[in-house]
Amino acid sequence: MTATLDATESLQQITQEESRPRAASWPRYIARKGGGALISLGMVVLLGFFAFRILPGDPAISMTRGRRVSAEQVDQLRKEFGLDQPLIIQFFHFVGGLFRGDLGTSYTFHRPVAELIGSHIGATLLLTGTAAVLSIILGLWLGQRAAWKRGSLFDKTQTGLALIFWSVPTFWLGLILLLLFGGFLQWFPTGGLVTPGSNETGIALVWDVIRHLVLPVVTMVAVVYAQYLMVMRASLLEEMTADYLTTARAKGLKEDLVRRRHAVPNALLPTVTLIFLTLGGLVGGAVTVETVFSWPGLGYLTFQALSAPDLPLLQGTFVVFSSIVIIMNFAADLVYRVLDPRLKAS
Amino acid sequence: MFFTPSGTTPSQTEFGARRGYRRVATAIALAAALTVPTLAASSAQATPIRSAADPADTVLKVATSADIDTLNPFTAILASSTGIMALQYESLTAYSAKDNSIVPGIASKWSTSKDGKTWTFTIPKGRVWSDGKPQTADDVAWTFDAIKKDPQLQQANGGLLESVKDVTAPDKQTVVLTLAAAQASNPGAELPIVPEHIWKDIKDPANFANDKNSVGSGPFTISSYSEGQSVVLKANKRFWRGAPKISGITYVYYKNTDAQVQALKTGEVDIIPANNLVAAQYNSLKGQTGITVNPGVGRRYTSLNMNSGAIDSTGAPLGDGNPVLKDVRVRTAIQEAIDNKTLFSKVLQGLGVQGQTEEPPVYPEYFGIDKKDMIPFDPKAANAQLDKAGYPKGADGIRTDKSGKPISLRLLGRSTDPTHAQMAEYIKPWLKDIGIDVTLTLESSNQVNDDSTLGKYDMYFTGFGIGPDPDFQLSINTCKSRPNADGSGALSESNWCSPEFDKLYKAQHTELDPDKRAALVKQAFGVIYKAAVNDVIWYASPLEAYRSDRFTGFDKQPAKNGVITSQNGYWGYYSATPVGTKSSGSTDASAATSAAFPAWATVLIVVVIVLILGLIVLLVVRRRRVTSDDRE
Amino acid sequence: MTAVTVRSKRSIAAARRRDRAVEVWREFARNRGGLVGLAILLVVILLAICAPLIAPATLLDVTKVDGLPNQAPTWQYPLGTDPAGRSVLLLLLWGSRISLLVGFSATIVSMVIGTLVGMSAGHFRGVGQAIILRVIDFFLVVPSLVLAIVLSTVLSRGAITIIIAIGLTSWAGTARLVRSQTLTIESRPYIERSWALGAGNAHILGKHVLPAVLPLVLAHTTLTVGSAIIAESTLSFLGLGDPTTVSWGTMLKSALDTGAATAGFWWYVLPPGIAIVLVVLCFTLVGRAFEAVINPTLRGR
Repeated sequence: MTATLDATESLQQITQEESRPRAASWPRYIARKGGGALISLGMVVLLGFFAFRILPGDPAISMTRGRRVSAEQVDQLRKEFGLDQPLIIQFFHFVGGLFRGDLGTSYTFHRPVAELIGSHIGATLLLTGTAAVLSIILGLWLGQRAAWKRGSLFDKTQTGLALIFWSVPTFWLGLILLLLFGGFLQWFPTGGLVTPGSNETGIALVWDVIRHLVLPVVTMVAVVYAQYLMVMRASLLEEMTADYLTTARAKGLKEDLVRRRHAVPNALLPTVTLIFLTLGGLVGGAVTVETVFSWPGLGYLTFQALSAPDLPLLQGTFVVFSSIVIIMNFAADLVYRVLDPRLKAS
Repeated sequence: MFFTPSGTTPSQTEFGARRGYRRVATAIALAAALTVPTLAASSAQATPIRSAADPADTVLKVATSADIDTLNPFTAILASSTGIMALQYESLTAYSAKDNSIVPGIASKWSTSKDGKTWTFTIPKGRVWSDGKPQTADDVAWTFDAIKKDPQLQQANGGLLESVKDVTAPDKQTVVLTLAAAQASNPGAELPIVPEHIWKDIKDPANFANDKNSVGSGPFTISSYSEGQSVVLKANKRFWRGAPKISGITYVYYKNTDAQVQALKTGEVDIIPANNLVAAQYNSLKGQTGITVNPGVGRRYTSLNMNSGAIDSTGAPLGDGNPVLKDVRVRTAIQEAIDNKTLFSKVLQGLGVQGQTEEPPVYPEYFGIDKKDMIPFDPKAANAQLDKAGYPKGADGIRTDKSGKPISLRLLGRSTDPTHAQMAEYIKPWLKDIGIDVTLTLESSNQVNDDSTLGKYDMYFTGFGIGPDPDFQLSINTCKSRPNADGSGALSESNWCSPEFDKLYKAQHTELDPDKRAALVKQAFGVIYKAAVNDVIWYASPLEAYRSDRFTGFDKQPAKNGVITSQNGYWGYYSATPVGTKSSGSTDASAATSAAFPAWATVLIVVVIVLILGLIVLLVVRRRRVTSDDRE
Repeated sequence: MTAVTVRSKRSIAAARRRDRAVEVWREFARNRGGLVGLAILLVVILLAICAPLIAPATLLDVTKVDGLPNQAPTWQYPLGTDPAGRSVLLLLLWGSRISLLVGFSATIVSMVIGTLVGMSAGHFRGVGQAIILRVIDFFLVVPSLVLAIVLSTVLSRGAITIIIAIGLTSWAGTARLVRSQTLTIESRPYIERSWALGAGNAHILGKHVLPAVLPLVLAHTTLTVGSAIIAESTLSFLGLGDPTTVSWGTMLKSALDTGAATAGFWWYVLPPGIAIVLVVLCFTLVGRAFEAVINPTLRGR
């Protein structure tokens, strides 16, 4: 939930850091940004491990809840999970496990966390990916139009709507849409990924998923598109007052062409970079939307892990979510580099 | 801002720009185009897409929100999983739908030796498992032995076998159970018997998933399991009582109860099982066409438990309970200050039965306490009693204990149960009226279990579901049921001890005459009641709702006003009968859905996302290059 | 000859500050959206502060209310009643106190941490700066809701935990802003002169950097309050809040828990959400107007 100012500031920040006339060569750039990403990943792993160890409570006892187990059996369980060893050794085991793809075993589901995450991440990517693409398209198009018709009713309405939607709590909007379209009007299903117990394949299956996808995606898009709209609008407004455009207009170019051929493409640069920066933040919104619509993704898993609390699972989803964002930010850095106008076009 | 020029010709520019916008427009049009047919398709169907070929292909869809720990009968302990186990595996005996009395299960008859230590069960000839192999005494013996020998298999039902010394199968039709000591409860009840011919070949039985095409003896068997999404069961045509009238059951996950209610209204599910609906949702479903609600009678009590001085199995003090609660007069006063009737009518909205002892009214022979022994709602008497007991009120209205400190008690509740927070809102001012300050903490279920087991509480909300035999509920109140110092080990209801109670427990445990036993059981519960360690507030009605225009004929347990789901048995689902020939979905569950999100789909999505993002970048790069020459 | 009054350095500075404030206000007032937002916010804050006077807390005591549960709006209860029979309008009024309090507190935490860390990151050099930059980047990157969930799970549930969680997850944005501003300010000549004259770190940061940075931080902070209020409601919805206190977020959670949504009790489900939208919108409008004042390039948007 970054403000427009925050977004443009972060871009200024990037350009400030790159203010040296000729930026470093590609390998050095990748090494620097990649190294930074790895350090962030490392910190995520550290935080993920130690934060949960602060929590009082013995995992071995959690797992044998309500059963008649002797003290020896609990000790046995502790040894099995390595819980009897000093924290540092446990940490090394954890990190080692990470490299092997082993994130521990879930308390609630008694299955490897990596397996649980693997089977749920697809649904989250589908939801956030679709929402991202649609909100980008919608936000950019509306933002560009609003900036062009600046001050008109269209502009005022769009800006107003964007601000309102940006102020809405995602879960509340989701619930209202669920009740209205899922319950009252019955246009869409009330939850899940597919109609349960059905055996569709091929096109019918795709159709079923799309039907289930509509409400959650609409909820996410409604709250997120506003950000892209505002950024695009602001960038374009700034662009349209630039000197070179005055020259173009003086040369006799039509306003329409000025806008389409010059202003918009140049305004797109900071916008696109910003999009990459904020994409990672979308996954956080997935938690509430997936909960409201029972969408079987990572967010849903996180919510389920919350109530136990299922520490290995929470740890795993935390690390995975953060990693996605770190990767997206690294991608943003690369994209910015690619689009950096100070590079001579090859 | 900060661009440098590069060159192309103007005509290329025009063409490129126009094409670019067209691309964007097409994308949006596509998105919009998707929603229109989607709307049309879904609104056109109030009923599902496919029509049934065969009217007998009817699947009952059950909405569920509870997680399943495992479908392995030896390790499943959550109510959601054990409920499914009860559909798939029979025990030696069953509990009747009529009144929870013991009736034949796998065994057709049984007899007890004079000294009560030897039980002989007869397994009739001709019964088969769902895969056609015969049921014999060897299956029973194997199940008992497997649990006794392997500690890992004792997780679910090990406690039931503590009293069993030996099990033998002298022939294919006879099982002999030898107990260490005589007991009143039938040792053959509640232990699911598994097919030896399947399980004896499994290398690691404790970790066997048992979630694909399982073999069982009950009316339904597990066909497939999609974790977090659905469990699919299919009817066992070979069930000895006769094949069920429906073709299968599908449990569908909805984390959100509101979504469950909507799903029932739209027909996505056919039944919302017990203990899911809250009062407002239940009331909103009353009177809806096609939907029938069933309040049922609960077998689960909700109570306010007080820490009367927790100790561990060695006798050392456990936890940090406020010592003032060691005084039975304080506990009684607290119980007198809490108006269970108001809690019952305001928080539960009257959907249940007001609490007495832990034994719920659904088992009438053990239920109830004499009116003269009941602790009434009487804050005046409570105040008087506390004054007399030597806890004077301070200037701010809060009493001080024997050491001069103001009495402040912690109340612990579950964050996942909204009624706990709601009840606390009433209890706080009531206890303030008698001079006790209360602070509420809400924690997750596991944390509450941890803290209560370790004695780290003053008062907490708890509850338990009770089976037809009260022995277990009584056993967790004996002096022996104290946990180890680290919280592991035995399960104790209130960490409380009374030699008088222990005597009564022993007596009812071995009393073979049912009437005499009932009297002893009621007496034992009475002792707990008088000690005021567990104030039972209510037994909540289970509140079920189902599509009566699709399914009917559910056998309730008990027959008069009982529940359909969450029974001590399988009668509800077994007796389900489809109404008319309207299909409610798909058929042969053996070809059902596998893991809902296959790996290839995930990879495909990632690839598509990367492609789209790359496309956006390329678009911008191309656009920029193409137009920058005009900027001079 | 005209007499020249000699004024003290302090009074000159004070007069200058006053003039600047008036200038800021005048520029702010040009933005209609900002004015409307500010007006509404002042009314809401006033109502929140005066809540105990308007409706004493005893009206919220469940053991003493006599309204019927879940009643639709009537003249006596303009927004109906909740499941315990309390007036939803009163709950909304009292809920504003906690929601606003949590919002402001979390923002203050975020602002303080962000400003301090940001100034340090811009001021100090070398290894220290590299480490601080890494830390800032880390907190920027970690998804805030997930981190808030982690913190709320580890710490005990309640309002303080939510304040800490929100504060810890939102300071990084402020820090980045402050850092870039610090860098800009410290490259100005008068700072170099101060260094030359022997000024210490505290002097530079306290007397020069901080006053210049503060307006920017305040503008940014106004926007953060809105996010904090939404974050509080989301965390309460997920069950991490303190259900014994009445806030807009806990009202929504309670509405969900008691099935108000499916039962059609719109008077319990809609008002808290609408209140959140209204207040956050106002903060956003005020924040944007303030931004426009501070950053002239953003004016007229």
